[in-house]
Amino acid sequence: MEQLTTSLAPPRQSQKSNVTSSNQQAAGSVAKRLSNELMTLMMSSSPGISAFPKHDGNLFEWAGTIEGPAETIYAGLTFKISISFPSNYPYVAPTIKFDTPCYHPNVDITSGAICLDILQDKWSAVYSVQTILLSLQSLLGEPNNASPLNPDAAGLWSNPTAFKSQLMKHFRPISDSA
Amino acid sequence: MATDALRSQVATKWQESFSRLNRDSPGISGLLNFSEAWTISIQFLYPRNIRVPQTQEKDIKKARPAFDLVSRCRRLPALLEHFLEDMRQNFNLIEKEIDEHMLRSHGEESAQVIQELVDCLMEWYQAWTPPQDLGTTIFSAYTLNFQTRLFSSLPASFSQAFKSLCASLLGPPDHDLGERGTITGWNTGAKPNVWKNFEVLGLIDRYESVIASVGYEFIESHVLNACKGQWEKPMLDELRSWMSDHVVPWMIHVYARNASSPEEARAMLQGVGSRFDFHINKTLCDLRTQEIFDIIIDFPESMGALKDLRDCMQRVDQRSNLVAALRKANRKRLLHPGADTKIILQQYVATIKCLRIIDPPGVLLFKVAEPIRRYLRDRPDTIRSIVANLVGDDDSGDSLVDENEPIQPLQHQEVEDYTDPQWEPEPIDAGPEFRTNKPSDIISTLVSIYDSRDLFVKELQVLLAQRLLAIQEGTDRVEKERRNVEILKIRFGEAALQVCEVMLKDMTDSKRSDTHIQSQKQSVLHPTIISRHFWPALDTSNLVMPGQFKILQEEYAKEFAVFKPDKRLRWLPHLGTVQVDIELEDRTVSADVAPLEAAIIELFADTAIWDLDELVKAVGSVNRSGVIKGLATWVDLGILKEEPENTFVLLEREEQRGSTVVRDPGRLGPAEPEPASVSSIQQQQAEQMRVYWMFIEGMLTNLGTLPLDRIQSMLKFAPGYDRTVEQLGAFMEAARREGLVVVRDGMWRLNK
Repeated sequence: MEQLTTSLAPPRQSQKSNVTSSNQQAAGSVAKRLSNELMTLMMSSSPGISAFPKHDGNLFEWAGTIEGPAETIYAGLTFKISISFPSNYPYVAPTIKFDTPCYHPNVDITSGAICLDILQDKWSAVYSVQTILLSLQSLLGEPNNASPLNPDAAGLWSNPTAFKSQLMKHFRPISDSA
Repeated sequence: MATDALRSQVATKWQESFSRLNRDSPGISGLLNFSEAWTISIQFLYPRNIRVPQTQEKDIKKARPAFDLVSRCRRLPALLEHFLEDMRQNFNLIEKEIDEHMLRSHGEESAQVIQELVDCLMEWYQAWTPPQDLGTTIFSAYTLNFQTRLFSSLPASFSQAFKSLCASLLGPPDHDLGERGTITGWNTGAKPNVWKNFEVLGLIDRYESVIASVGYEFIESHVLNACKGQWEKPMLDELRSWMSDHVVPWMIHVYARNASSPEEARAMLQGVGSRFDFHINKTLCDLRTQEIFDIIIDFPESMGALKDLRDCMQRVDQRSNLVAALRKANRKRLLHPGADTKIILQQYVATIKCLRIIDPPGVLLFKVAEPIRRYLRDRPDTIRSIVANLVGDDDSGDSLVDENEPIQPLQHQEVEDYTDPQWEPEPIDAGPEFRTNKPSDIISTLVSIYDSRDLFVKELQVLLAQRLLAIQEGTDRVEKERRNVEILKIRFGEAALQVCEVMLKDMTDSKRSDTHIQSQKQSVLHPTIISRHFWPALDTSNLVMPGQFKILQEEYAKEFAVFKPDKRLRWLPHLGTVQVDIELEDRTVSADVAPLEAAIIELFADTAIWDLDELVKAVGSVNRSGVIKGLATWVDLGILKEEPENTFVLLEREEQRGSTVVRDPGRLGPAEPEPASVSSIQQQQAEQMRVYWMFIEGMLTNLGTLPLDRIQSMLKFAPGYDRTVEQLGAFMEAARREGLVVVRDGMWRLNK
């Protein structure tokens, strides 16, 4: 029976469909990984971090929310981030940036770019959205002042009062409709 | 100032009139003669008061030449005018009599009084009638004038009184007449002239509707008497023959009195006859419409009534009334919390069958069924009831399904096949939602209450699991369940019941592997080994079997691992039963108990006194009330005793019953319902909904506000999400009531 169908099918077409299906398979496996990560993230209900795909049908662009950890200078502030997964995720780290202006030694205040080792050279496929979000949350309280993206902030870090006033000057919560 | 021309014109006119009246007689003798004839005519015609004795008799012989003369002089119209004027002046005489009669008619014998009044009116009418010689013109003008004046002076109450007179004239047959053997039955001969009088006075035409209403009421009362509550046989034919026996004779009397031949009579009766026939149909139809709910309850004993209703519906357009009445009755009598789901299902099935008889295309059914189906959808135990019925779980015997009905696959909603030569358009009163559902079998209809049959299949699995796990050793119940599953396969299809198939296979497989393991190493333990993936979620428990039970389990597991190295046993020790023999100093007690109870008594084998809390811990931190219940079993059997509170002592020697402390049932806390070992569909759904809520919370946290349809499409990310947007809406609404979310302009966001 199987023989019959293969012999009946035009060979060129079957080849072509093989190619597309392997592409689809690759895309499908990334989507599957992302959807698993989404499921894990949803079910874990870690306090203060959250993320969700921005649009239905596209698992590669997510919006995230990070609440400033308690007893840090960022406590009580909520930051929105954008997560963009590459098509070869998880072999390549996702691109993450702050949408809410974040006055932080390792965050570029205008572009929102983040300097975090696990998002660059230390990336590993075992990390997940959840670990990234947790790392970012802890980064807020414990900046790496050795390699600042925002030297002003790095300089001010030792002076909490001045830092806080700078932080609040730049902080602008993104409205819900955004 | 008169001109000559005018003067001559007047003269000519005068001359002309004079010559007409004088008729060429000499002098004015002609004129004199005419004048005399005029006076005689006037006097002859004068409408006299007939209650006053007449001084002189009317002499038609003397009057006739006078009329001739007036006629010849072409003065008859003037004479008529004069006569009618006289009549107008004297009509008050009649009015006085009418008033007198009407005053009396308020009493009991109003029919009698009205008859007298009619007689007396007739007297006046005849007394005033102009003689025939004057020709029909004058006669008809007189009649018309008389009737007009009469009708205008009859008070409003007359029609009511007249109706009662008609009713008494047309009343149902006296018993005397019946004995005389007249089949007419109507008291037609008693007042032969009355109807004639009515006609002469124009009362029949004027009060036709009143007379007809007498007939209608008669029909109504007969139909109500004869047919109320009589549903076994069709009544319509009987009513028709009753009509030809009892109603037609008086119809002839009233409407076809002057008929000379039967054909003529038939023609005259045609209109009124079909009106009366219609009325029979309508009355019966109204009656049955009122009774429809009870008729359906009585089905199939009420077949006759249903056939009647079907036939009546063809003549009378009462379909919408029937639908409204049945919907109202259903709402009032069926669709309320007091009615058992099973009863609602039964009534629904009966409704389907009944309305299919009345209206085969199913438009009525569709309109009536919708509220029932909607209501059933909201009932939590509907699926369970239907499924229980499907597998013959009912022992009551009131099966929804006819045993004789062939088992057939569930029918799908069919797309209209326009190439079908038998295709018919939808009936005209079908609503926009109406779908031509072909007469399908009951089960298909019941299953179609829900959008998906998956629910049924899931419920079937749960039910089957419960029943399989409850099977005791050594019965042929498994075979019976297998038979059920085979039947259900025909309905739901092979694929849907694959899981059930696996469950059944597990049952036989575990028996086989048990036999094998027993042959390797004898054990009193006979586990049922089930495949976790194919069985519905089972309740878990932390119960740890102590002592010898634990050893038994471990030994068995070891043997199983040898037999099936790739499989691993995970015990569900809280399910099943244990047969224990408890050897005490003075006695041996045997009992079939739940595993938890066995575990408790096992603990007492080593230590004779246990504190409740320690005991709970020792059996693996299970539900405290469950442990108390287990202890109570042993206390009841006289093996344990509670002394003091929350401390239990093993009674090695039997004590007198009376001395055991009776535990206050109130202390056990509210009696918990026996936990079902298989999580029900609702629990599983609630669990799923909890997952979906996490997703909703996640998306609303990150994306801010979203409309409902966005949420719905975003939930596609959640695995296995299959809710409709309506269900989601209801869920969101529930979440809003909980204060978790808020909605504004259709946009949902988290309530922070």
